[in-house]
Amino acid sequence: MVVAFAILAAWELVTAVGVVAFRRPIYNALSLVANMLGLAVLFLLLNAQFLFAAQVIVYAGAVMVLFVFIIALMNPESDVTLGRAGNEWIYGLVFGVIFAALLGGLLFNRGLTGRQGASTPEAINALGNVQAIGVALYTKFLFPVEVASVLLLIAAVGAVYLAMRRIR
Amino acid sequence: MDTLAPLVLLAPLAGFLVNAVFGRQLPRRVVGWIGAGSVGLAFVFALLILAQVLGGQRLDQTYFTWWQSGDFSVPFNLYVDRLSTLMILVITGVGFMIHVYSIGYMAEDPGYSRFFAYMNLFVLSMLLLVLSGNLVWLIIGWAGVGLSSYLLISFWFERTSAVLAGRKAFVMNTIGDVGMIFAAFLIFLNLRVMDYRGLFERVHQLPKGGTVITAICLLLLVGAVAKSAQLPLHTWLPDAMEGPTPVSALIHAATMVTAGVYLVARMHMLYDWAPAAAATVAIIGGVTAFFAATIGTSQVDIKRILAYSTMSQIGYMFLAVGIGAYAAGMFHFMTHAFFKALLFMAAGNVIHAFHDDQDIRHMGNLRAGLPITFWTFLIGTLSISGFPLLAGFFSKDEIIRAALNAAGGEFWLGVLALVTAGLTAYYMFRLFFIAFGWEWLTHDDRHLHEAPPVQTVPIIILATGAVVGGYIPIATFLSPVFGPAGEVGIGAFLGLAALSVLAALAGFFMAYLLHARRPELAVAWRTRLGLIHTLVEHKYYIDELYDRVFVQPALALARFLNTVIETRVIDGAVNGLADFTLVEAREFRLIQTGRVRSYALWTLGGAIGVVLIVAGFLGYLPWRFGG
Amino acid sequence: MPVPAYLFLLLSGALFTMGAIGFLVRRNPLVVFMCIELMFNAVNLAFATESRFLNSLDGVVFAFLVITVAAAEVVVGIAIIVQVYRGGRQMDVDELDLMKE
Repeated sequence: MVVAFAILAAWELVTAVGVVAFRRPIYNALSLVANMLGLAVLFLLLNAQFLFAAQVIVYAGAVMVLFVFIIALMNPESDVTLGRAGNEWIYGLVFGVIFAALLGGLLFNRGLTGRQGASTPEAINALGNVQAIGVALYTKFLFPVEVASVLLLIAAVGAVYLAMRRIR
Repeated sequence: MDTLAPLVLLAPLAGFLVNAVFGRQLPRRVVGWIGAGSVGLAFVFALLILAQVLGGQRLDQTYFTWWQSGDFSVPFNLYVDRLSTLMILVITGVGFMIHVYSIGYMAEDPGYSRFFAYMNLFVLSMLLLVLSGNLVWLIIGWAGVGLSSYLLISFWFERTSAVLAGRKAFVMNTIGDVGMIFAAFLIFLNLRVMDYRGLFERVHQLPKGGTVITAICLLLLVGAVAKSAQLPLHTWLPDAMEGPTPVSALIHAATMVTAGVYLVARMHMLYDWAPAAAATVAIIGGVTAFFAATIGTSQVDIKRILAYSTMSQIGYMFLAVGIGAYAAGMFHFMTHAFFKALLFMAAGNVIHAFHDDQDIRHMGNLRAGLPITFWTFLIGTLSISGFPLLAGFFSKDEIIRAALNAAGGEFWLGVLALVTAGLTAYYMFRLFFIAFGWEWLTHDDRHLHEAPPVQTVPIIILATGAVVGGYIPIATFLSPVFGPAGEVGIGAFLGLAALSVLAALAGFFMAYLLHARRPELAVAWRTRLGLIHTLVEHKYYIDELYDRVFVQPALALARFLNTVIETRVIDGAVNGLADFTLVEAREFRLIQTGRVRSYALWTLGGAIGVVLIVAGFLGYLPWRFGG
Repeated sequence: MPVPAYLFLLLSGALFTMGAIGFLVRRNPLVVFMCIELMFNAVNLAFATESRFLNSLDGVVFAFLVITVAAAEVVVGIAIIVQVYRGGRQMDVDELDLMKE
């Protein structure tokens, strides 16, 4: 388990760097796909099988496919803009480093504080992961689910409308 | 009586409201008779109250609680005893005469309805002042008469002099009001009551002659001095003659200026308990009486002479109540109301005849042209000078006798009063001889004609009062309030009568000599007395003194505050704040670059801040406020 | 679970920071978008960790909803970027400052 985690952690970090650093956007996209898949396996480690499936199907499978299509459509050449002028990137780097330090310092060696619930992995697995989440979604989280569905509707409508508009 | 008393107040209130609201639309005659009629109606009610009071009735009735806060309770209550009955009879009676007179006098004036509204407001306030059963409503009435006085002095508001005079009166009155209010504070602080009955019951709890009671009486005196135009708050009264003559007659002769006397008389239990303060009252009265009489000898405006005469006579009243002769003071108040109102109204007739010229040097020899006015004015002059058997003789002598009988310093005040009586005769007859003269002119090309009956009948009625008023036994009437009237030995009576008549005759002869027979002597004396005459003629330069000491510094301070504080500090602060906001806004606007990355930077910065705060609260950071 | 919670959270934090830095540094809008997706993923990891170590289903459910919202957002965002591209403007976030002030 520890070994698996170590490998996955390394995988995540490397691909994340890849997302940020590559010049050609297609490479960025592919790195992101790899990152997401690694994350999905991490979810498995955390006994979130449903999330693993959702991540692979929805996120990596649909969202990233969309990304790749668009990149292919628009500019497969290299992104010239990376090295160009403008020194905001210094700020970004500085801020980012500060933030990283902050998070690292705060998170290092501290446990999760919070109320312990009742859904231990054994209890979940006894019911079945999907069933358990399904029950939660349709009872405790019914309202957010409904709202999310409306959100998707709005997004779909919005996207269609935006795509139809002609830009002069 | 408990319904009669508020009715006395309601009559002028109704008159005021009707004339104030509808006055412009109503025809003139109606306005005038409503104004006068309401006061007349009040007089009728007052007579009914008199009948009951003579039967021994009194009233101390609370009608409703006006203001209650803790143990500070101010009811609306009316207190009717013989003192207040006398006051309301004079106020409504003489007031009614003056209102009727005004119907004629103000007939040409465009502000006719406004005039009667204000006059009714005055009568209402004065009655409220007198009938009130507690200090707060007294002060309310006090303020009301001050307001009415101001409104009526500056009635002809297009005249700058009138407006300035009104303002001057109001400012000096306010000084008095402050004194009254502080006195009320002290009373409540020490005795926890505001109504008369409670006050009179508890006043003896304070140490006699102690600082508290003396302070209270002195503060009340400040109010009285301001309202009654005594030294040193007297300078507003001569200027108040800017108002129409009926105003001068009613407010600045017969009633409002006597409110101070009423106050001391009403509070006699307090003043009996604070001899130092009472002595101050007497001294102020005596000195003012003399002082005003001296000024009166040099003035040339008919109304101003009468104003100083009023000041002087009220000095007599103050002297009386100061030495404890309250009944004598009230007696003189009544007779003075008769003859002073009459004198003013007659003067008004003369002023009208000369087309609003008030300089007595332009008048003279009115016996043929204005016969009724002439004879009534003569009666008034005789009465005020103390001519034997007329009203003024009796009332003035009572005061002087009381002063001379008293031990200590009051004796000298009595002597001063006697001298002043001589001066009074002198300046009044000087006025008479110069303004009215004695000659019967068969041919007068000034074409003077007498005033209409609506203006002469009231004067005649008051003249009758000035003659027979002395026989009304006021002292006995007021004995339930002030104690039994002292018995006067016939010897003492005649002895003093002789002295006072002597003084009066001396004054009369001086006036006759200097102004009727040998006017050139008057001129000679004036040059002889040079400096003194100038001093007296300019009213001892007190107005100028007050201007230098009080008015100019106040104006300078106001100017300073305006240019420095107002403009630089306050406006500066406000404008500075606005400018600061503008500048800051301009700076902050630059955040809106339209570029995603800069927004993201700000967001990240904010996120770091939030994390720090939350971490601080959670206790993760060593220095933060432990959550 | 032999791996302690904080390691997962540190990983999540690291991914998030890298996404933030990328978001601030890159100028191609598509890449910026991808960095946003990276941040979303990091957050999902944190949620899943919380769910596992606190024995609650809330985290997982919430992560699921995050995926939903991210999908919707990607759709709309891509539509906008496509429009920008079609309009002939530069594919550079610094140049797209029409919302200025």
